[in-house]
Amino acid sequence: MNALGAVIAGETVLLDARRAIAWPAMGWLLVADIHLGKASLLRQAGAALPRGTTTADLERLDALIATHSPRRLVVLGDLVHGAERLDAEWLATFGAWRDRNATLDATLVAGNHDRHMPLQRFGFEVVDELEAGPMMLRHAPDPHASRHVIAGHVHPGVVLRDGRLRHRLPAFWLGSRRSLLPAFGALSGLAPVDAADDDRVFAVTPGGVLALGVRALGPPRAKT
Amino acid sequence: MPTVSISSRRWLAAERQLGAWLAAERGGTVAPFQREAWHAWRDGSSGLIHAPTGSGKTLAALGGPLIDALARDRRDRPGLSLLWITPLRALAADLAVQLAAPLRDLGVDWRLLRRTGDSGSGERARLRKGQVELLITTPESLELQLSHDDGAQRFANLATVVVDEWHELLGSKRGVLLELGLARLRRLAPGLRTWGLSATLGNLDEAMHALLGDTPDGRLVTTRRARRIEITTALPDAVERFAWAGHLGLSQLRRVVESASTARSVLVFTNTRSQAELWHEALAAVWPHAPETLAIHHGSLDRELRQRVEEELRTGAVRCVVATSSLDLGVDFASVEAVIQIGSPRGIARLLQRAGRSNHRPGEASRILCVPTHSLEIAEIAAARRALAAGAIEPRVPLRGGPDVLAQHLTTLALGGGFTADEAFAEVRTTLAYAELSRDSFDAVLAFLVHGGPALGAYPDYRKIIVTDGSYRIANARIARLHRYNVGTIVADGAVEVRYLRGARLGHVEEIFAARLKPGDRFLFAGRSLELVRVRDMTAWVRLAKGRRVAVPRWMGGRLALSNELGRWLQHTLADPSPREPEMRRLAPLLALQRERSALPDPDQLLVEIVRTRDGEHLFAFPFAGRLVHEGLGVLLAQRLSKLAPATLAFGANDYGVIVSSRELPALDADALRALLAPAGAREDLLDGIGAGELARRQFREIARIAGLVFGSQPGRDRSVRHLQAGTGLIYDVLARHDPSHLLLQQATDEVLERTFDLRRLEACLGELSTRAILLTRPSSLTPFAFPLWSEWIRGGLSSEDWETRVKRLAAELEQKAR
Repeated sequence: MNALGAVIAGETVLLDARRAIAWPAMGWLLVADIHLGKASLLRQAGAALPRGTTTADLERLDALIATHSPRRLVVLGDLVHGAERLDAEWLATFGAWRDRNATLDATLVAGNHDRHMPLQRFGFEVVDELEAGPMMLRHAPDPHASRHVIAGHVHPGVVLRDGRLRHRLPAFWLGSRRSLLPAFGALSGLAPVDAADDDRVFAVTPGGVLALGVRALGPPRAKT
Repeated sequence: MPTVSISSRRWLAAERQLGAWLAAERGGTVAPFQREAWHAWRDGSSGLIHAPTGSGKTLAALGGPLIDALARDRRDRPGLSLLWITPLRALAADLAVQLAAPLRDLGVDWRLLRRTGDSGSGERARLRKGQVELLITTPESLELQLSHDDGAQRFANLATVVVDEWHELLGSKRGVLLELGLARLRRLAPGLRTWGLSATLGNLDEAMHALLGDTPDGRLVTTRRARRIEITTALPDAVERFAWAGHLGLSQLRRVVESASTARSVLVFTNTRSQAELWHEALAAVWPHAPETLAIHHGSLDRELRQRVEEELRTGAVRCVVATSSLDLGVDFASVEAVIQIGSPRGIARLLQRAGRSNHRPGEASRILCVPTHSLEIAEIAAARRALAAGAIEPRVPLRGGPDVLAQHLTTLALGGGFTADEAFAEVRTTLAYAELSRDSFDAVLAFLVHGGPALGAYPDYRKIIVTDGSYRIANARIARLHRYNVGTIVADGAVEVRYLRGARLGHVEEIFAARLKPGDRFLFAGRSLELVRVRDMTAWVRLAKGRRVAVPRWMGGRLALSNELGRWLQHTLADPSPREPEMRRLAPLLALQRERSALPDPDQLLVEIVRTRDGEHLFAFPFAGRLVHEGLGVLLAQRLSKLAPATLAFGANDYGVIVSSRELPALDADALRALLAPAGAREDLLDGIGAGELARRQFREIARIAGLVFGSQPGRDRSVRHLQAGTGLIYDVLARHDPSHLLLQQATDEVLERTFDLRRLEACLGELSTRAILLTRPSSLTPFAFPLWSEWIRGGLSSEDWETRVKRLAAELEQKAR
């Protein structure tokens, strides 16, 4: 439920509305850009955000694991948001989550934000990139000569119009040579998708994953 | 420091000196209101000076401090004595020149500093060491001054603060922030005199109260003599009885060119920036003088471009400027000979202000030529003339302060040396904006700043303000820095900068407009036809285009609504047209047809028309209360009608009335209509009707910025802020989920109704309508009053070409039938 099948580089995957890709053939669950601890850093800088965002993100991850029962979780970079005090509350919350899921293999394809934290201590295998079948899993979507790149980093998003209202939504953006996941963290911003004609774009809406025609994305032309 | 009293003989001698200077320099005598202001200052009073532009307001406010300095030792340099606050940065340079002249000529050795951002370290040192006597600054820059911990020292000798163009700040969050800043200044400098300069308002006493706070015995200083204003209307040869908006009044282009090209200098005012661009384009096509003598000026143009135009207007290099309200303010253009207003000015005060830009010579009449853009605007102009003759003018209601501005100001105080809760509460309550603030509400804002929210522990690691021994101080230097970046209440919309490839800046268009353009598209901006090359990083790179433009930018919030007061005068004028008014003579055929088809309502009646057309059944109501209020009425009527009988309803509004349409409306009589318009429960029905959640989420953007819940970007200034940015929409969602009773969410909902529909006016309007008799008619076809509403409403579902064809065809049909 709430997931849509899609084929990437010949592999069948599920685009899950909880902002993840499940790859059943491998038993992998892919997410990107969780940005743990962002709320905490904002609070330390004087922006009053209530607690609960880490817990909510991790609960969503739990629900995904329950649905897809993956053998391995692959985080495509930016698991954490920035340098953090070691007594920050979310570190304990995250540690407890890892203990609950101790049998799950976890790989982090390190992103630019991850240099701030020694993530091995949470039982993550940390790599720069990861080859798997026809895919190359990376944080930043730099092209690869022969493999299809699956990446995060960009935080793709789309704007959908509904009468007078405009909704900004995270999106999956699948291209011929590389595919991008939406950012997983609820506090992550969005960068507008600039899709080519043969790209496929899927909006993450509260009701599920919605396939969009590329035309629907192109901003409407000015009336003449 | 209280002023040491000086003998009245020395004062009088000094006053004579200033009078002599005035006579020599300006060739005039001291006006009674100027002398009144000087003497009130001498008595230690505060007050508000209200006089037309160009009548010598500046000198009225400067006189007291200046005479005082003259009467003492003019070589005295007492440190910061006079603070002059202007709402517009662009006016500061001009002011500095104006203020410096008498100081210099009379030999007062004051050092003047103009400061419109945060002060650099050199200037900070000058201010700290007391090396400045006169400081010209903006409300935001004052707030920054207060954020430095040597405020007590800096402002200790301050004798006078003058707020220029106070009417511009009143009624906005900027005004609320300044009220708080002034309250602080009065604490730092006991005995401080506060003086304001204001244009004419319908509620001057209230305006003065907002400025002075709890200062007792304020003095309202006014000129007795009102400026004479002559209003001429450029009447079209024939009046369309079925008019629709979408005309620009360009049929009057010849008349405007004649009028504009014979004057040595002329301002052409439009009501929107898009209209200014279009009129500039039209004028340029037929302009008989050198092309560079015609210019454009509006708020989205780059500041340097605007300043160049202002300068060229002053020197005479430019003869004609097409402008929006960006030129309503300030800068003295003694040379402007004629003023032309395109479209109705929508308000009495605005007409007065704009007409006042011409002929700045005391005693002479101001002249303005009004160019209506559709038939009913002709009546608005006649109504405005009547209102001015009767001395009527709109009030500007001061804003009640919300938690967002208070949170920002308390953070400033925490930074500027700290505060205690009791003292700050008492100080804040001296302002009109927060006079009714309860201790509970104040404590809730404090809790937000200290703990993040009311529930202790719900905001782990949160740090902003810390309390030690009852003293509230900023937590650390980084938070201090972030706060200083974000001081102020002006939250810019997502604006895309327009630049030439070679680098010169032209101004800003809205993100949504830029997103619709593709490279190669041509559009009209800054009076030029431009071709888009590419959009990158919120910058639209352009080059001059050959050939005609295809698009004209539109800016949100550009549309002015008819004021309540002018609406009332319009009703009187329509109900009782005078044959002596050329406008009403020309409108006679339209009014006759309206009476024949339906009715011309008296001011104590509310006209409601129910008409069936091919598109369905329409209800029209005409309260003449302005577009915003009518939009609220539309939501309310649609919401309540759908409760009577479920149906798909659509509504539209203009300045005169509202349309609600459906395939089939429920059967309605006067009593049913009265129930639909009942004031009780309006707020709840509106919230249900508009999908308040999504709108509140948008309104939250401004509130979150002001309250310091998010950090604005500081391009090129501080990269370390970037990773601390999060969209306000996301933050709204987080709060709604994890702390739904948050005080800023509540504020967002309140402000949505206030901003979207002007709730206070809407409620007042409903109250007023309940006293009117309902005049219900069922015309067989659309009436002249109804037609513009219908044509705007039908526009929603059609492409612009289809729309124009269809509207023109129906107008012709109706005209045929009416013969």
